[in-house]
Amino acid sequence: MIKKMKIWQMPLMVVCLVGFQLYSDVVFAHGERAQQAGIRMRTMYWWDVDVSPTKVKVGELVTITGKFMPSSFWPEHLASSEVASFMNIGVPGPAFLRMHSHVNGTPMVRSTRFYRGKEYHFKVVLKARQGGEYHVHPVVSVKDAGPIIASGVWITVEGERPDDFKNEVETLMGDTIDLEHYGMQEIIWFNAFWFAVGVAWLGFWFIRKDPVLLRRYTFIAEHGEAEAGSLISVKDMVVSAAFFGLTMVAIVAGYMWANAKYPNTTPLQTGKVVTNEIPQQGDVLDVVVSNAVYHIPGRAFNFDITVTNKGDSPLRVGDFATAGVRFVNADVLTVKPIDKSDPVSPAGLIVTGPAVQPGETRTLRVSANDALWEKYRLTSLIYDPDSRFGGMLFFYDDEGNRYYSEVGGVMIPDFQNVE
Amino acid sequence: MGYNDSVKDSDNQSQDDARSDMSQESAISTPEQQRRIFRAFDYMLVPVASILLGGIVVFLVALTVGDWDYWQDWRDRRWWPLITPVSVIVAPAVFTYFFWKYFRLPIAATSIVLGYMIAAWVSRYANFHLFADFPMAFVSPSNFIGMAIILDSVLLLTRSFYLQGFVGAFLWGLLIYPLNWPAAAAFHTPLVWDGYIVTAADLMGFMYIRTAMPEYVRIIEESTLRTFGEAVTPLTAFFAGFVTILNFYLWVWVGSKLAVTRWATKLI
Repeated sequence: MIKKMKIWQMPLMVVCLVGFQLYSDVVFAHGERAQQAGIRMRTMYWWDVDVSPTKVKVGELVTITGKFMPSSFWPEHLASSEVASFMNIGVPGPAFLRMHSHVNGTPMVRSTRFYRGKEYHFKVVLKARQGGEYHVHPVVSVKDAGPIIASGVWITVEGERPDDFKNEVETLMGDTIDLEHYGMQEIIWFNAFWFAVGVAWLGFWFIRKDPVLLRRYTFIAEHGEAEAGSLISVKDMVVSAAFFGLTMVAIVAGYMWANAKYPNTTPLQTGKVVTNEIPQQGDVLDVVVSNAVYHIPGRAFNFDITVTNKGDSPLRVGDFATAGVRFVNADVLTVKPIDKSDPVSPAGLIVTGPAVQPGETRTLRVSANDALWEKYRLTSLIYDPDSRFGGMLFFYDDEGNRYYSEVGGVMIPDFQNVE
Repeated sequence: MGYNDSVKDSDNQSQDDARSDMSQESAISTPEQQRRIFRAFDYMLVPVASILLGGIVVFLVALTVGDWDYWQDWRDRRWWPLITPVSVIVAPAVFTYFFWKYFRLPIAATSIVLGYMIAAWVSRYANFHLFADFPMAFVSPSNFIGMAIILDSVLLLTRSFYLQGFVGAFLWGLLIYPLNWPAAAAFHTPLVWDGYIVTAADLMGFMYIRTAMPEYVRIIEESTLRTFGEAVTPLTAFFAGFVTILNFYLWVWVGSKLAVTRWATKLI
């Protein structure tokens, strides 16, 4: 194959490869559409995600709040959020400083457990560190499973980080330290010293009257290893002993110096924290799903729900959230997308049937249809090895109170009917 | 007959041979020319080999040590001082045999580690600091130069791979923690953040967001019932020393199998 290749084809290949690199577009997203649809639908439900403000200057704070619930339909084969999870933020590198992170009021400096079917409220405070436009996502990272990403919000950070930008914190001893540059002075001196020692060692062996490598090689080749010992002089032995001794002294002295300068140190801290529990929603309604069908030609997901209203006011279905995408019933709610990439369909949910009265059990037909199914690659659910769905239905009473109910089950694809 | 006498004899003999055999074929016609070429070979080979082998160690460290060396908040008392020396000694062990057998030079560890340190600093500064925008102190590499000098000097003093492993490799594993402590101690300063005790390194890991590295991903020391009091560091250091001895012997043996001079003998 290589023999047949003409020589002029080589530079052509280089041009093609370079051109391909130059043509590549900038990537903005975090792969939130890349994960399998069924996994996204049955792992985490996100709602009320809010970012404020969405336009800041370097050094100003951004607060991200919202709610999530690990799905009760969490796939058994997937590592559970109940083992180890971390409240995370999806940003391109340290463009922001994460100042605080709380879930249910518990600080999330460390990892924790999030239990299936439990509601959690999060709040993350960021400080803008570098100018730019960033798509920021709340993320729950689950050990051995991966990141589960909420829909992102664009944040514009104006200005560039000044040279005197500081990230100051106070130590337990009362000293104020700037984490932007903390410890760098010691690192520079420490490395400069050891580089000098290393270069001196090599210099001792190579800065000599005679050449070193080939002369020593030919000597050993001619006289054999039995005579090779004569290549080492007494001076070599003395200098090597001095290097050995001084290196040991330098290591011990450096250790003692560091202990004297930093007498109070602790090991790196880890271990899971227990997240506070918050009051969960009362027993207001029961919902049973049946006949869930995804009509591929029409990009419509239809299912029947049998709702039992245990409350004291009529309930109507307002929106359906799954995999970070939200389909809204325009008869109940008026919702505007937060920004150009907010995955909300303001009129994508059609519910056939009246409000469910208190004490009543009624079957409703729900249809979520929008191009968002395609855009967010949820239609690929039909290619999953486990074609089941999960999602969150939100019901509203006449006073605007909201109640949620998790729904899920088997999804049957319909390859022919638009419906 | 000593090295200098031998070299003189060798020079005289080679002069005659060279004049009779090579004067019509080679550009080298005098001992002075040969000396200059040999000298140029020294100045060319050592830096090139150092950077090349150091670059190889960068990949080795990336594959085997990785995050333990990339981030200050991974350099704990248990895993970092155990994994790192055992892994980093591989290349010095392989090439220490080569440099000693053919040149009687105790320079393999120092030259490789120096090359590695240069490559690592360039990589961290360009990739982690300039491109990814992390504070340089948070991502600066660990330093192994002192360990390398000990390994090399022990070989010269003992002239024995066995003793080099027993003493030098043991100290290599034993001393990584105290050697690096002057640069690392600052990052173990305790703070209180949101009601929790954290070190400066922990807090930097929290604040400077690495989305792909949630807190639980860090493989660092956790409390165990088998931990003897608070003596984690010295116990780990001694264990790392013993394991490093074994790994050193293994890779010196590998080096002995790889260090063949079929091509070199044809060229020289």
